[in-house]
Amino acid sequence: MKAKIIKTLYRILLLIPVVIGASSCSNEWLVPQPLSIFTPENAFVDSRGMYASLTACESIIRDEWFTTGNRTPINTECVFSEVSVDGSTDQTYSPFNMNLVVTPSGAQQMLYINLYWENAYKAVKYANLVITRIDEAKFKDEAERNAVLGSAYFHRAYQYYRLTHQFGDVPFIGKEISGPKLDFYSTKREVILRKLKKDMEFAAKWCSDNVDRGRVSKGACAHLLTKINLALGEFDDAIASASSVIDGGVYSLMKNSFGTAPAELGGYLRSKGIVRNDVISTLHWAPNKALAANKEVLFMVLSREDLIDSRLNITSMYRTMPFWSCGNQNMIYTPDGFGPGTYDKDKQEIDLLETFGRGMAMIRSTSYHTKMIWDDPNDLRHKKGNWINMEDLVYNHPYTKKSAYYGKPLQLRDANGKLLTSDTIRNWFGWPHYKMYVPDPRAVQPRGGAGDWYVFRLAETYLLRAEAYWWKGDNANAMADVNAVRTRAKCAPYTDAANCNIGTILDERARELFWEEMRKTELTRISYIFAQTGKPSYTGKTYSVANFGTSNFFIDRINEKNDFYNKGVVAVNGLEYKMSAYHVLWPIAQISINANSKGVINQNFGYDGYGNNIPPLTAIPPEEDN
Amino acid sequence: MKKNYLAGELLYHSLKKPLLIMRIAIILLLVGFQQTRANDAYSQKTKLSVSFSNTELAKVLDKIENQSEFYFLYNEKLIDATRKVSIEAKDQQIEEVLKDLFSGTNVEYSILDRKIILAPAIISQTQQSVKKVNGKVTDQTGASLPGVSVVVKGTTTGIITDANGNYSLSGIPANATLQFSFVGMKMQEFAVEGKTTINVKLEDETVGIDEVVAIGYGTLKKKDLTGSVSSVKSELIENEKPQNVQDILRGTIAGLEVGFANSAKGGGDLEIRGVNSLKTSSYPLIVLDGVIYPGAMEDINPNDIEKIDVLKDASSSAVFGARASNGVILITTKKGKAGKAVINFTSSIGMATMAKVAEVYGPDEFIKWRSDVMKANFMYNPSLKTKLYTFDDPNNLPDGVTKDMWLNGKTGDETQIWLSRLAMNPAEIENYKNRKYTDWGDLVFQNGLRQDHNLSLSGKKDDVTYYWSLGYNNNNGIVVGDQFKSIRSRINLDGKITDWLNVGFNSQFANRDESSIPATWQAIETNDPWKTNLNPDGSLFIGDDLPVGVRNPLYDKSFTTRRKIYNTFINNLYANVKLPLGITYQLTYAPRFEWYNYMNHQSALNEEWAKFGGQANRQQSSVYSWQVDNLIKWNKTINEIHQFDVTLLANAEKYQSWDNSMSAQGFSPTDALGFHNMSAGKSSSYRLSSDDNYSTGDALMARLFYSFRERYMATLSIRRDGYSAFGMGNPRGIFPSAAFGWVFTNEEIMKNNILTYGKLRLSWGENGNREVGRYAALSDMGTGKYPYQTLGGTAYEINKLYVNHMANYNLKWERTRSVNIGLDFGIKNNALSGSIEVYQMSTLDLLIDRALPNVIGFASVTSNLGEVQNSGLELTLNARIINKENFKWRSTLNFSLNRNKIKHLYGDMVDVLDASNNVIGQREGDDITNKWFIGHAIDQIWEPRILGVWQLGQEAEAAKYGNFPGDFRIKDVNNDGKINIDDNEFQGYRQPRFRWNIRQDFNIYKNFDFSFTMYSYWGNYDMFNQAANSRINGIGTYPDRNNSYKYPYWTPENPLNDYARNFSGGGGALYNVWREKSFIRLDNLTFTYTLPGKLLGKAKISNLKIITTVRNVGFWAPKWVFWDPEYSGPNPRYFTFGINLTI
Repeated sequence: MKAKIIKTLYRILLLIPVVIGASSCSNEWLVPQPLSIFTPENAFVDSRGMYASLTACESIIRDEWFTTGNRTPINTECVFSEVSVDGSTDQTYSPFNMNLVVTPSGAQQMLYINLYWENAYKAVKYANLVITRIDEAKFKDEAERNAVLGSAYFHRAYQYYRLTHQFGDVPFIGKEISGPKLDFYSTKREVILRKLKKDMEFAAKWCSDNVDRGRVSKGACAHLLTKINLALGEFDDAIASASSVIDGGVYSLMKNSFGTAPAELGGYLRSKGIVRNDVISTLHWAPNKALAANKEVLFMVLSREDLIDSRLNITSMYRTMPFWSCGNQNMIYTPDGFGPGTYDKDKQEIDLLETFGRGMAMIRSTSYHTKMIWDDPNDLRHKKGNWINMEDLVYNHPYTKKSAYYGKPLQLRDANGKLLTSDTIRNWFGWPHYKMYVPDPRAVQPRGGAGDWYVFRLAETYLLRAEAYWWKGDNANAMADVNAVRTRAKCAPYTDAANCNIGTILDERARELFWEEMRKTELTRISYIFAQTGKPSYTGKTYSVANFGTSNFFIDRINEKNDFYNKGVVAVNGLEYKMSAYHVLWPIAQISINANSKGVINQNFGYDGYGNNIPPLTAIPPEEDN
Repeated sequence: MKKNYLAGELLYHSLKKPLLIMRIAIILLLVGFQQTRANDAYSQKTKLSVSFSNTELAKVLDKIENQSEFYFLYNEKLIDATRKVSIEAKDQQIEEVLKDLFSGTNVEYSILDRKIILAPAIISQTQQSVKKVNGKVTDQTGASLPGVSVVVKGTTTGIITDANGNYSLSGIPANATLQFSFVGMKMQEFAVEGKTTINVKLEDETVGIDEVVAIGYGTLKKKDLTGSVSSVKSELIENEKPQNVQDILRGTIAGLEVGFANSAKGGGDLEIRGVNSLKTSSYPLIVLDGVIYPGAMEDINPNDIEKIDVLKDASSSAVFGARASNGVILITTKKGKAGKAVINFTSSIGMATMAKVAEVYGPDEFIKWRSDVMKANFMYNPSLKTKLYTFDDPNNLPDGVTKDMWLNGKTGDETQIWLSRLAMNPAEIENYKNRKYTDWGDLVFQNGLRQDHNLSLSGKKDDVTYYWSLGYNNNNGIVVGDQFKSIRSRINLDGKITDWLNVGFNSQFANRDESSIPATWQAIETNDPWKTNLNPDGSLFIGDDLPVGVRNPLYDKSFTTRRKIYNTFINNLYANVKLPLGITYQLTYAPRFEWYNYMNHQSALNEEWAKFGGQANRQQSSVYSWQVDNLIKWNKTINEIHQFDVTLLANAEKYQSWDNSMSAQGFSPTDALGFHNMSAGKSSSYRLSSDDNYSTGDALMARLFYSFRERYMATLSIRRDGYSAFGMGNPRGIFPSAAFGWVFTNEEIMKNNILTYGKLRLSWGENGNREVGRYAALSDMGTGKYPYQTLGGTAYEINKLYVNHMANYNLKWERTRSVNIGLDFGIKNNALSGSIEVYQMSTLDLLIDRALPNVIGFASVTSNLGEVQNSGLELTLNARIINKENFKWRSTLNFSLNRNKIKHLYGDMVDVLDASNNVIGQREGDDITNKWFIGHAIDQIWEPRILGVWQLGQEAEAAKYGNFPGDFRIKDVNNDGKINIDDNEFQGYRQPRFRWNIRQDFNIYKNFDFSFTMYSYWGNYDMFNQAANSRINGIGTYPDRNNSYKYPYWTPENPLNDYARNFSGGGGALYNVWREKSFIRLDNLTFTYTLPGKLLGKAKISNLKIITTVRNVGFWAPKWVFWDPEYSGPNPRYFTFGINLTI
């Protein structure tokens, strides 16, 4: 009996390991269960999953303006052009001397060259995921499928258009890559552009204009196609694609004010009797941009105060306005010696901070942008209140109440002509308040809150078509398109077609599209066209592809218009502004080249490693041609 | 006489063999219901039948016990139970059976009802035994030791000391040798050599080879070890009042590095034998009471720890297979001990004080420094550099500078003008004029009170062993507001249900309160002394240059309410069953629960947070994980020659966690309810998130230990692990090991009196590493919201989906293969003992984030590639330098070095070129992106080399690199006029090249103990970018708007070569400044006074100690000038006073 009980107990106990052993031997036990994450297999089943992936592309486009931190990628586009230079004069690592800083492995910590590259290829990856798997999903009909595919093509083309004009020849990836691959080769820029043109013709055909704001519209596709046509030197096609947008009946330039009237959180301007309610200020007032009534928007990115999960601050004031409130050794003194004269704490008697926001001059507009281009006193884009000059501000530091100048306009010099601030680079320049001001209600020191931003706008389509006409030699039509944009801003139209040239168009772009356009990308595109066509520029100079890296329109234009680079301008920190012809293309980061250990990604002329290049691919292999 | 003797033996027996007694009692219970209640004449009535030939005596006795109600009491040391006997009995009385069994031996037996006592005959029958010896046995402190076994060597003749420690043996050979042994003490032998009195002092077995060591799923005597295992007993350092497990381990074990944490919470990272993984953590596996412990170290009360064993080589840790490549730390908690219930109470009160301050400029030093900063800023500006004197003190102008020149056209108050030029704002200038300055250090640093109280109750009563403890810990840090509180409790309970079954559990509950919000002490650098602290109304002033960090260090803290509580409940429930043939089976179920609760409220009364109406967050997460271990063990010694120990394991585990969080802003009507009423927030501000995780694993393991004559020993093990992170392609990995030991001093020819113990060990094994992330093999799609607006004007958000992570379904285990050679030695009976270990570890199939060309859209993919090798040497020495009754000095030294090398990476071959670019061969390519190079250490620095500082007169050369005098001069290796990646050079190492620690223990006049420990890291480098006096790589402050730590800086008048000018620039170069961080630290001083037993005995107190200890006494770091070399930031020195009371 005793033995029997014990025996039974033994048996039961012996069974336990057997049972556990058996269960632990099955591989089923070890199948991973991702509980809170999506995988491609469970996500890409219909158009919603596909569009969700393209949303990631749209989010990356938004990052060009909305990247958090002191700077943002669009600033980098601006400092490689006539309109801006870097303004951070209080550091000795700032990107002033591009010859030193812009290297494949160097200290580009304040430039976003590498981020452009990384983000572009991420977006290409997201788009390729949709392109490769397009037929795995179920669609309502052919039109829905092709609209999804067209949107994916748009995003891939958008990024490759940028890459080919920021970096030149780059690797082209046309499909989803599902495993490690280390043998990429650069593809010739023209070959990529040719592929983009084909894709965008498809997209412009299938995408719709009846899409939510933030999505890819047919107009946006045709607009991008216009840029690609221009880049390929196919000007008639460019005119056609631009005209399809301009004359398509869906879009038109806004000629009158609409939506809500702009109102800053501070009352300083209103206290001066300035009310902004013209077409330009309403067009750029963030809450109006996405309205259906806005017929000018082709493609935009959104950010809203009340959509907090997707909310990002644009920080536009912080990044582009002068450091008007400077309280350090560069402070702005009153003529009678009180300093600092300005104050950036909130809730001051004179609420400059709430009205304009806090600027840090991460980029500093050149006099080209602040003065030279303004040729019409009626230009709404430079009208007092829309455009703010330093003299429009007043001494507001409570400390200056002891001064006779409290509440009086700021002065750059005293009566003896002596400068009242030691850093005019950082502290003293005008800015387009109508565009840069985005209310920032959550910040004590407003920098630019959540607000929508334009990516493609019909005004640019006009200027692209103007270019196409001009390249063709049709100056009259070119001038007409420039005038369409000018007159909307209440300028008088240009009348001398003979004097209408690429400079005219670039000036108009600077007036109309500051911080919207990809200025460096476009300058490089234009430089390429000069080199490809041999057409003389307004100076009479011609360019060729053969010596693109040493002589190009890009550097000539910057030397001509940007009053900082290569002029011996030295900031307070002792750094000199310098730029070279080879900066027409940016360096490809050494890490990107090094990690590609079994292939060759070509480096651009002028940078270390250029000597290791091999001829780029001149065709896209069929398996990549999706 | 005989009766006394029996009583003595019974006492001894009950101490020594309690299990046997219990087993007997239980058998009696079991058989009781089968038989009628026996009467007094049981021994005469009962008839036995037994039949054995050439069988161990013990087995025969067992059989008799099983057959009847008889039970035997005997001392194994005195009765040779392994003697082989043959007996044939049928229906015989016990008396006759015993006669058969013991005739011709010196064993006497007495039958007391059912109880049969076996004992050696005291009076020997042999005529040549003539001697009588007596004496007294005491312990180290001179206290008498009862119950010590005294045996004539080579015989079973012996006796046990009485209550006063006295013994008397008569009739023994004149040339006999006596052996004295007692549990927990070292056995000693003495030759009689004609002496009639032999007094013996036994020593504690603390560092001896008979020590029992945990080896994972079992224990082994240290002398049987084949692998590399180091141990530390908590009693050795309990006087130092360790606050956490790391404190016990710091500086006690060769090859184990324990990091340093400066917070009130304490702790620190652990690393055994260097970094052997590139991606995964190098944190060792923690095993608590035999079960893998995934919890937090701070939940283990150091006072509950009995001992810690560290498995360092692959063979010893191989039983933990896939989890063990970083080594294993086995923690054993205290158990009740036989005897009366013991209450132990320890209490300590301490103070945390600042040990090393990196000083910032004081009020007037600041002005001078700031004026130099301004000069430096304009030094190279063509138009301003001629007027640098405008930054000088107007009352102390340089020669040749007139007041007018200084005024530079300005009029007004000179102080005002001057300080404005120094970028001081009006409020600061006002403060300066009123000499109103703030010592920010005073506001953020404090002396923190620490207290730690622990109470435990333990004992063993009949079949139940128990240990219960409760501890309360409340530490304030040296930073204002830094506090850590915990309540920890543990119950270890073991009950013997029958002779073949015991069950028990070890449970640990901890409540950790980490709600504290430390002040932002960094304000000492960002806020200069003239900055304002308080508003006129006495409230805190927020700060006047927030973007560059000039913020009141207490401001945000004072508007934040936080509750951050961890509750953990960790259990091992086990049942242990004795099966036939000496096999035991143990089932352990170890459920772990963890609850985390975080609530945070940022009040709208804060000037900044008012903008969004305050914010409240709540986060709750819980973890439930379990493990089941099935262990089968078999232990057998055959003829005292062959010893076998077999362990088999089947294990399964599952981890699940659930996490949810919410937040809201814009509370209405107010946020007075803080985080208690989330729905008062604006609904459009609500945010929700959840994150749940799941993983499973299993394991099978077998281990065989075999020892031959305690001379040769071998351990073989194999483990197969499964883990769901690798579940797509390679769910399982197999990890074998083998180890051999040779106690060469047990060889007859090697026996000598100097090297009394010597063992060589050789081991080989493989371990895995699975800490790659639960879903690393999968391609997860990230989500995030993105906004759109319909043409109808409705804005909405949808999820974006993007591929975060490249899938690698073939991901598999990282494996570390290691060879370890060890020599253990004891000289002069372990007066000097120690070990030397040499090892080489190769980690293969490294889990690596392989850099990809980023055109793929992924910077990297998790892969198994490459090989990293660690090799090293460890030396441990223990010495009893002086061992007198009134003065003892024990010394321990550990030394270790580890060398790390990358052997392979991705296997991509690249061409090797000669000077004229001809291909002369191929070699494996490096990973320049991650700065990993074949043949170099992971921690080797590969960066541009700083040669010094450009000096005046070198302007032209400096300008080539975009530099000015005062900037760091960087070596242009290839002289191409550019500093880029081609100029990188291999420099020093970030990890110490050598580490050592020593420990000295002194015992003076028995009752006074004094110990100190020191340790050192030598030869490591760390970044010291502050030497650039500029914001390089984002490190440092804005000198024109902040204060600074006091570092030297270059000026034309003070042309240093190791510090750059203020605002130094790098041209286009990216570099870091590296400085050597070698140091020696006096880590601990401890004084203990143990009250004499005489005093305590009256109060029924068995032990009372008074302890004073100082931790982090000081350090010497010859080349490091910043904060502490181990931790950059304020680091505490602890003074602790405590008592330890045992009743």
